[in-house]
Formats: sequence, structure tokens, C-alpha cells
Amino acid sequence: MKTTRKTLIDGSKLATEAMARAGADVFVGYPITPSNLMYAYARRRMPYFLAAPDEITTLQWMAGLAAAGKMPVTSSAFPGIALMTEGINMAYAMELPMVIMITQRLGPSTGSATTGAQGDLLFLKGIISGGYPVPVLSPSSFEDMWSLAAKAVETARRLRTPVFLLTSKEMVMTQKSFDTSKLPEITPWKPARRVREPFRPYEPVEALTPAHIFLGDDEYLTRITASTHDADGMIRKAEPEALANTRRLRDKILHNLPDYLEYEWIRGEEKAPVLIVTWGVTAEAARDAVKMLEKAGRPADLLVVKTLLPVAEEIREIIDSYTKLVFAEENLTGQYKEILFGEQTPAHVFAVTGIGEMITPRAIAEAVEKTYHHG
Amino acid sequence: MAEVKEKILTGKKFPFCPGCGHGVAVRQLAKVLEDAGIRRHDVVVVSDIGCSGLVDPLFDTHTIHGLHGRSPALGMGVAMGLDEVPGKKVITFIGDGGATIGLQHVLEAARRNVNMTLILLNNQVYGMTGGQISGLTTTKFKEIIDFEKDVPPFDIVKLAHISGARYAARVNSPKQMAEYLRKAIETEGFTLLEIASLCTSYAFKKLPEFLEVVEPEEAYENDRPPTRIRRRETAPLFEPGEGYEARYSSPVEERKGILLAGSAGGGVQSVGKFLATAGILAGLNTTMKGEYPITVGTGFSVAEVILDRDDIHYTGLAAPDVAVIVTRDGLEKVRGRLSPQTKVYLDESLEKDFDLPVRDVVVRPFGKLVSPKSKALLAAAWMLKREKFLPLEALRDVLADHRLSALFLPVLDKAVELE
Repeated sequence: MKTTRKTLIDGSKLATEAMARAGADVFVGYPITPSNLMYAYARRRMPYFLAAPDEITTLQWMAGLAAAGKMPVTSSAFPGIALMTEGINMAYAMELPMVIMITQRLGPSTGSATTGAQGDLLFLKGIISGGYPVPVLSPSSFEDMWSLAAKAVETARRLRTPVFLLTSKEMVMTQKSFDTSKLPEITPWKPARRVREPFRPYEPVEALTPAHIFLGDDEYLTRITASTHDADGMIRKAEPEALANTRRLRDKILHNLPDYLEYEWIRGEEKAPVLIVTWGVTAEAARDAVKMLEKAGRPADLLVVKTLLPVAEEIREIIDSYTKLVFAEENLTGQYKEILFGEQTPAHVFAVTGIGEMITPRAIAEAVEKTYHHG
Repeated sequence: MAEVKEKILTGKKFPFCPGCGHGVAVRQLAKVLEDAGIRRHDVVVVSDIGCSGLVDPLFDTHTIHGLHGRSPALGMGVAMGLDEVPGKKVITFIGDGGATIGLQHVLEAARRNVNMTLILLNNQVYGMTGGQISGLTTTKFKEIIDFEKDVPPFDIVKLAHISGARYAARVNSPKQMAEYLRKAIETEGFTLLEIASLCTSYAFKKLPEFLEVVEPEEAYENDRPPTRIRRRETAPLFEPGEGYEARYSSPVEERKGILLAGSAGGGVQSVGKFLATAGILAGLNTTMKGEYPITVGTGFSVAEVILDRDDIHYTGLAAPDVAVIVTRDGLEKVRGRLSPQTKVYLDESLEKDFDLPVRDVVVRPFGKLVSPKSKALLAAAWMLKREKFLPLEALRDVLADHRLSALFLPVLDKAVELE
């Protein structure tokens, strides 16, 4: 009989190891609480490690490294992400792969560095000027820290794009006993050198994505730019070919969503009258709440959304198939709920929100119980 | 057989205003590269926003064009990414406005001495936005326009030099430009060449004599090798499947929450990990969460440990079953979290004014029996002996595995002896 071994581990360690196995080779970082554990692990694990003097530089170095063929990752919290934002837009327009792990903490501004939160989702929804979508993957468990971290690296490379791994203080710092033998093996995705002749740096060859020819290539000259450009990478104003390329940036992220769409829909044998919708760290409380409700004879189904952005049609369909919904997220207004329903919450939609401490299983269970009495 | 020299420029029409010095700089650079027989595929031209960034489409090399003021940092990323590929030249352009934004990037490139040439086209003004002055606009120029003349410019050549650039120079004369460019291109490490000119649209008209306005030519060298970026072999952070198997049993069925409260430097975080690991040895699921102020070397230090027979999803601990409190800092931090459900193990020094409505208080002189560093361990071990959540042997195994076991094991023995 195989014996179970468990180790005390945190999500930062799982994510760092998973990213390295998935092909991330350079960590560029500037320290910020609560993301420092990944910085420390990456210092040991990544084949290259660069200590940048600030977050603006971090993103610029990552972009340069990615353009030269490396697969960079970093980790930061909102104050750092805010400084990176212009660079993230640049990398998005240049179509450069990178993974940015966000360890959410209580804002606004400096807020409270060691208090968790789920408050940065709306920011990510609009982070690219013009409203272009960026893949946002949000781990809801230690297992996810492993598999989604690897998925983020793979997606960044496949689609030549920045990808966010949206975590929070609790996911990256709290340690749990964990059986690592259950973790699925990670096989790094290696880009094939698919070039259509004559080579045009921004002509899509597969999955609406151009071949990634690195700066310094000995066969093809490449031209990378953040300004509006044509398929040759030549800067153009609002000309049809250039605008088509700009539109492709959005289409690329949406078209390939099935490849990186992750969610968990937990149902009993019979469909429950209410669906709990949650993400990130609050999913752990929701899992406990579902058990409590089951015991109390008030069953609820659970949807843990892991690919938060862009919003998949499949997610909307699941949500639309319930007449009562309880959103649970650790922010003031219910940001994922707002993305789906806008600021005017429909009558059948309820929310458990809060700041400064984790949403408890009891709070979620009570909100579900209320829906049983409601209408 | 004469080597066929590759053309470096695309042949596109230069987009610069008539008489602009930028065109002269581009032509001279192309000639220097061609004369040196450098292949187009070995050159990466990095540029950003502003008139200096107009060079992007002119080069028939690899190019990358980014954000205003950031080309030195972007170029550093490229240079570091290509450092293991022999023969590649990263040539980065920036204007005086961009260099003002990205001053730190320039100093960082110099400090790291990355293998990159930075060509700074200083035409005294922001040419694309209306001729505003930059941090590199000379005092003489500002005297003429009667604006900020008391504020001196950054001498970026000297700044780069004292920051460690392999070579940093300023050239004013077009006749000597090629020579300076050759030196900048041929030198390994970070080289900066400031090329002075006057914006024909916004500067030249106002000026009597170019050479009266610009800073004097200068050139400096530091004899140091470039910083090399080399891939290193690393070991996995963990091997899947590693860890402890259960070798003891525990009577715990329902979730137990333990709060450890002490001060920075008192080993509270380590003790939390020891308990959580001992829980694994006793076949339980465990979590451990630390809390301490941002000033990690002072103030409170609190650890939360959860022991459970079931899987632990939610890791919050609202009302602890047990609190082990060994210092005043710790007590003040967790005071609000103690409830009638909580049994408190308290250091004797805190007994006098302890008046919280808790389930039970047990007081022992932990601090008198061991050093402040070991107080939390002694108190936690003694609590474990009394509460019997886990066998003390599980904790002993964890401590025995630690590199400081010689320090810790006698503390555990004291807990065993203590009545």
C-alpha cells in the first residue's frame, strides 16, 4: 500500500515550482509584501533571477527578455502592478509572453500590506487601454496554485501575451499540510518555429498568433513595436491594416479562450435551487459552506470560476441556468458580480462581500439560507 | 575576396526636419556598423517615443520600439536576454526628454555595465510636443529663452561614468562623431554617447551659435568587464511526494485552533510550523498562518495553527480553542480574539492584570525557565502535553530533524518535567 506523505507548504512554493517546470526561466522582481515568498523561492529556483530597481524597470526588463526569447515571470501587489501598467500595455501590444502573479492585499493605495483582499479584478478588467482583454487566471486552492501557474505560462507562450495569475495574501503565505504526490505532471509547451514566407513579424500563423521570432535571430529580422503597426511591424497611424492588427489582439484572447478556460462546477445529483459563485481564496470558504448547507438540508451548487477574464459564454450559461445566485468575494461591492451584471444588481442575485478579513463559510451559508426564504 | 558589407538602413526617407542632427547621427552610425562588417542580423536597435524614436523604421536590423523614456531599460532586458548569444549588438536610442524620464534606467545600465550602447540624441528640447525643455537642456540655452536658468542640467555623461559605465562621452562636432561612435560600438560593456545638436524647429532659430550653447565634449572610461548573465542549474524546490507520513495518532476529531502569541525574535513562527508539522506526523491535516508587523524585527509575532481530521479549506480562525501567550506584545495583539471558548496558557509575567473572560487560564513561569528565544516553544510544548492534541513524540521528531535540534530538544525536556 502506498503511504501518504504530507509536507507543510505554501502556495508561493507550488506556483514557483510549477512555473519553472512549465518553462519560465527568468524571474524579474522588486520586493513587495505579500509577494516576497515567490521572490525568495524564485531566487533559488529560476535559472535566471534579476533584482530590478523598481516595478517600471521590472516590466521593461521582462519585455526585453521576452523579446530575446526568455520566458519571464514576476510577482507583485497592486502598488507595484499600478507602476507596471504602462509596461503591461506595451507588452500586450508588442505581443510578448510573460506571467504576472498578483498577490492581492487590502487597498486603496498602501492600504494594509499583510491583509488579504480580492479587490483588483475590476482594475484588470480595464487594464488595457481600449478595453482589450487579458487572460486572468485565479487559483482557488493549492492544487490550482500548481496547475494554473503552469497554465499561465503555457497560455502566455501560446498566445504571446501577458497573463495574470490573480492570487491573494492567504493563497501565497498560509501554509497547509499537503500531499504533493497528487500534483499532475507538468510538460512544458515548446513553441514550434512556424514561419510563413515571406516572414512578416505580426502576421498570425496559428491561433491568430504570430510566430515568435526572437530579437537577434540569425535567419529572420524581426520588428517589435508597441505603437499601432502593420503586419511588418512598421508603425502606422489608423490605417486599415494596422487597425486590423490591433483588433486581432482582442480576437486572439477571445478565440483561444477554450484552451485556458478553467472552472469547477460542483453539483449534487439533483440541481440545487441556488448557485454560489465565487473565485480565489473565498472558494475555500464556499467549499466548507456547501458542506454546512448540505447538513442543514439546504443544498447549494457551487461554481468556482478560475478563468475570470475574459468571461466565457460557458460561465454565463451556467449562471443563467439558476434562478438564485449568491456571489461571494472579498471586496466591497462584489467585483465579479459587477462584471457580469453591472452596478445594478438584479433581484435574484445576492452577494456576500467584505474587506479586512476572509469571508467565512458561515456568512456564505447564511446568505444561501436567506435565499430559501426569499421569494 | 572582399567581404560584402551588409546595408544597415532600409533606405526609407528620413522623417526628420530639414537640418536636424538626428539624421546625421543615424547615417554616421550606419556607416560605422557597415565599415566594421557587422551583419544586420547581429544588430538590435531599441528606441522609444519622441524624435529620437523616429529612427525605428530606418534600420534594416532587428528593432524594438517601446515607451517614452524606457528604451534604456527595455534595451537592458534585450541585452541581458542575448548575453549568452555571441556577436549580438544592442544599440539603444533615446532623446534628452526620454533620458530625463528614464534617468534611473541609464544609471542602472551603467551600474550593471550591461553590454549595450546607448545613443542619446540631445537636441535640447522635447521636439514633438512643442519645444519644452528637458532635464538635459543646457544652462546657456535656458538663459537665452529666459526659463529655469538657475536650474543646471544633469550631466548624464558624468553620471553614467561615476555609476560605472565602461565608456561615456559627449560629442558636439559632426566631424568627430564617427570616431566616438566607433569607440562606443566597439567597446564591450555599457557605453553611452551623448550627441549634441539643436532642434531645428524649436531651438536653432533662437540661437546665435551652436557651440556656445552645448556642454563641452568629454569622454570617460571605467576599466571593468561587463556584467554577464549566465544560466544556472537549479534544483526543484520540492520533489512531488516528499514529506512526512503519519507515524502517530491523535485524538483530535473536530477542528482545533491554536493561537501562539509572542514577540519578534521569540521563535513564534517556527513554533507554529513545528506544531503544524507534528500534526502531520500524527495523521492530521494542519495549517499555519503567521502574522507580524511590517517591521519584522520588533513588536508582536502571532502564529495560528489549525489541526483537523478533515480537509481544511477555509483557513480562518475566529475563536481559538487554545491561546499560548508569552509576551505583552503578543497579549495586546490577540486580546480581542480571546473568547469564553478559549483556554489560555499564560506566562507568569502577564498574570497580574489579566482579566479577560476566557474559558480557563493556566499560568506558568515559562520565561524564568528558558531564554526569551525558547519561551514560546516551552509554552507550546507544555500546552501540547496538557491538551494531548498530539503526542509529544511527534513534536520531538520534528525538533530532532531541525538543524538547531541541540537547542530545541532540551526545551522539550523541560516541558516534560514541568508540572
